[in-house]
Amino acid sequence: MSTDTDTTPQGAVTGLEKRIEQLRDGVGVFKGDRLGQIGIALILVFVFVGVFARPITIEFLNVTIPGLAPHDPNARAVGGRLEPPSLAHPLGTTQLGRDVFSQLIAGTRVTLLVGSLAAFMAVFIGTNVGLISAYYGGWVDDVLMRITDIVYAVPFLPFAIVLVAIVGSSIVNIIGAIVLILWRSTARVIRSQVLSHKQRPYVESAEAIGASDIRIMYKHILPNVLPLAFLYAAFAVGYAVIAEASLSFLGFGDPNMLSWGEMIFTVYTADAIRQAWWWVFPPGIAITLFVMSVFFIGRTLEKVINPELRHQE
Amino acid sequence: MSLLDITDLKTYYRAEGGWVRATDGVSLSIDRGETVGLVGESGSGKTTLAKSIIRLFPDNAEIHGGSIDYDGTEITELTDKELRRRIRWQEISMIPQNAMNGFDPVYTVGQQIVQVIRHHEDDTSKAAARERARDLFDELGIEPDRIDDYPHQFSGGMAQRAMIALALALGPSLVLADEPTTALDVVIQDRILETIKEKQAEINSAMIMITHDMSVVSETCDRIAVVYGGRVIEIADAETIITNPRHPYTLGLRNAFPDISDDDQELISIPGTPPDLVDPDEGCRFAPRCPFAEEECWDVTPEPQEYEPGHLVECHRADEIDHLQAAAGKKSTWQDQEIGTRDAAPDGGVVDDGAVDDGAVDDGVVDALPDAAADPANGGDDDE
Amino acid sequence: MGLREFVVRRLVQLVFTFWAFFTLLFVLFRLVPGDPTSMFLLDGMTPEQREQRIAELGLDQPLHIQYVSYIEQLLTGDFGQSFIYREPVIDIIVVRFMNTIVLMGTALFFAYLIGVTFGALMGWWRGSRFERGGIIVTLIARSSPEFWVGIVLLSVFVFWLGWFPSSGMRATGGELGGGFLQRYGSIDFLRHLFLPALTGAIVYLATPTLLMRSTMLDVLKADFVEIKKAEGLPEMTVLYKHAARNSVLPLVTVMAIATGAAMGGSVVIETVFNWPGMGREMVRAVNTNDYPIAMAAFFLMGSVVILMNFVADLAYVYLDPRVEYE
Repeated sequence: MSTDTDTTPQGAVTGLEKRIEQLRDGVGVFKGDRLGQIGIALILVFVFVGVFARPITIEFLNVTIPGLAPHDPNARAVGGRLEPPSLAHPLGTTQLGRDVFSQLIAGTRVTLLVGSLAAFMAVFIGTNVGLISAYYGGWVDDVLMRITDIVYAVPFLPFAIVLVAIVGSSIVNIIGAIVLILWRSTARVIRSQVLSHKQRPYVESAEAIGASDIRIMYKHILPNVLPLAFLYAAFAVGYAVIAEASLSFLGFGDPNMLSWGEMIFTVYTADAIRQAWWWVFPPGIAITLFVMSVFFIGRTLEKVINPELRHQE
Repeated sequence: MSLLDITDLKTYYRAEGGWVRATDGVSLSIDRGETVGLVGESGSGKTTLAKSIIRLFPDNAEIHGGSIDYDGTEITELTDKELRRRIRWQEISMIPQNAMNGFDPVYTVGQQIVQVIRHHEDDTSKAAARERARDLFDELGIEPDRIDDYPHQFSGGMAQRAMIALALALGPSLVLADEPTTALDVVIQDRILETIKEKQAEINSAMIMITHDMSVVSETCDRIAVVYGGRVIEIADAETIITNPRHPYTLGLRNAFPDISDDDQELISIPGTPPDLVDPDEGCRFAPRCPFAEEECWDVTPEPQEYEPGHLVECHRADEIDHLQAAAGKKSTWQDQEIGTRDAAPDGGVVDDGAVDDGAVDDGVVDALPDAAADPANGGDDDE
Repeated sequence: MGLREFVVRRLVQLVFTFWAFFTLLFVLFRLVPGDPTSMFLLDGMTPEQREQRIAELGLDQPLHIQYVSYIEQLLTGDFGQSFIYREPVIDIIVVRFMNTIVLMGTALFFAYLIGVTFGALMGWWRGSRFERGGIIVTLIARSSPEFWVGIVLLSVFVFWLGWFPSSGMRATGGELGGGFLQRYGSIDFLRHLFLPALTGAIVYLATPTLLMRSTMLDVLKADFVEIKKAEGLPEMTVLYKHAARNSVLPLVTVMAIATGAAMGGSVVIETVFNWPGMGREMVRAVNTNDYPIAMAAFFLMGSVVILMNFVADLAYVYLDPRVEYE
């Protein structure tokens, strides 16, 4: 996949104008892509819900913005036990009498948190590894790529399970486990991009004027591979959310954080899988919708980066 | 009775905002064993024209009108299945531009020849088909054992020969050769062309030679059709086209090709770009780039006139050609015109006898030779 | 270089990767924060029992000696004894391993079969409703966590329709021993296999489908595709025998990574369907601190992934006659 964002003869990306032009181009692609638009719309809804899920108090203004969740998701016995949906509880209640609807809304926060943090960190690490590995080459490249190979050999869930079992299942550890594996694909892809950029004239000229390695890597090459990194970040959000959900479902999630996967785990342990459909289905659908919208956006981003893909439909 | 009779063929592509008229009313007939060249720039529609015969075009293209009569059968009315079974490769085959790419890279060349033989001839055994493949290779100057090689293992020239073997495997009556030598270097080009001619004669198959290279057609073709803007703007026997063409475009094409015997020749290219074929207007398609265009040329589409038997031209000024020919040989005629506007370009040659000064030749000489009073350079204020 | 050299080179790399992986495991399981021995000791042991245990497991030895005996044990297939089952780990794991391979192997097989077939069709009929719909369906499948697909299938086909059994690998009371065919060939087994395998197939078909489609779109532009059409060959022949055959190559490498995902996915799918495989065993082992089983399971899973990567490398070279051995 080519990420040719340079259009000046030198091949360098410079100037604010260039960026604005690229942005315009990107927006144009989104305008033409139905799925991408749906993705963005959905994500915005999720973000909104996540931000305003619970009341936010701004102290110095003495104002409390009410939360979207009608009840405190953790409060027991706000309703009867295992009640099917009703007006008071649109998604029914859990076996402890908690409001499922409120839990669903609150769970959005965990999803957003895990998704964005894990994706950002994984791509951050991956991009740096790829950049450094490709730029320096030689033994640095060998070592870093060997490490990447080994990380590729590690199956994610088993690894995360073991890690969490050893160091505990806090949300931090879970994100850490995800990041430790997720960075690998970004590293490989960025590396191959940088390898191709290394040959280009703009790098040569930067070297000729005596720019330091760090400067060349981060001020010159990095902006060119950044779009690709963004693309991988988008997909990483999806993978991270699925990973956290799976971990929570298996019982290794953070018990203090009520994520959607955690909700389904609770249904299982309450042995209510067969009858409490109102409790089982919403979180699962929410996960799928969230990841789906992220993937839709990712697909459209791919088209922005690789113009060839735009004509394929 | 000709082998192939194309009448008023129109092949259009569906595009945003209308139809792209890649082939817009072409009539052409080909006799058995004859070689007809289709010459034109890229985008002229020559390839679409040829491929339309076997209906080989992308999904957004369709035959909008006209007929294609092959040996008594109306091809445009055949179903896809019949077309595949009876016509394609069996009667009409194709030699693509880049032979290496014409073969599927994951099968051996022999496998692919055998495949096409056995697909069309139900009762040929695999062994018999292989034998034929070997024989074909032998006749074309390739080691018969090489039928078990993969396409990428062949050199450019050899791959082209293999492709010819594939194209002739079923003894077709018509072969469409799409720029068969463009991808090869000049030395090999010659040999390949010879080989093609030889084999073609042996099985008495007709050929349509598509190319933009005048030198190729001059060697190989009996007749030449010049294609521009989706129409055949001139067609005649090869000799005539080369030495005595009547359409300005053909004149221009001739200029663009180097002739080794002419030391003084200036290479003159035709400025401007091929026309946009989306819903074109009335008028001659070449008018925007034609140095001899007049009012009529812009408003009325020229119909083919049979200037001599077998020589058809689509040009309003075809009968003035003797005057135009000389002017067409000068660079200024082409370069000085304003492309796309209706102003009659320096007409060069219609009023004078073609001796209009373009400045370049006589610069500096005028001053040096005071008794050049009779020098046509002084007639410079005659131009309009 | 020739084929032989290439294979040898790859084998050497394989050995190295295995070694690195084993060492990683060692580090992971021994060098943990806090008291490493706590993992091996059950609560409620007296100090003497603890000491005895530690000596038994060789945990009092210096690290490098532990490492050496660790490698030895691995190579001889001695994974110790399960804390819970009180049986050699190897016996327990091997059976579970087979069950997982059968399940995930079937899932992956169908995922790729569907992926290749439909991806090729989608590329062939580009721009059609079929293609559009296919992309959306595929993306939705990719967006659902494995456990979710499993739960949905369970709800529909077991709880609601009652067509399939809800858990396990065979009906209770069924034959546990017997030959391979008896274990894996019976109708009862197939009924149990269907839903979990379908779950895996749905989750894993997204990548091959989309990849196949996009590779097809490139391949279909090639000259030889046009020539094959010009030769009068039937559409399906051109589609599958030529275009698809050329598009399949990238999928081979992707399949190796898919195996990795599948090993991980088995953990979830087997839990949902209560399938007696390595994944379920691993979860159970971690929850009950049965360290030997957990480690062995993890080791096996990783080994499968490494091995599949190796196989994919070789297969790719074999399938594409143009590739130079480097």
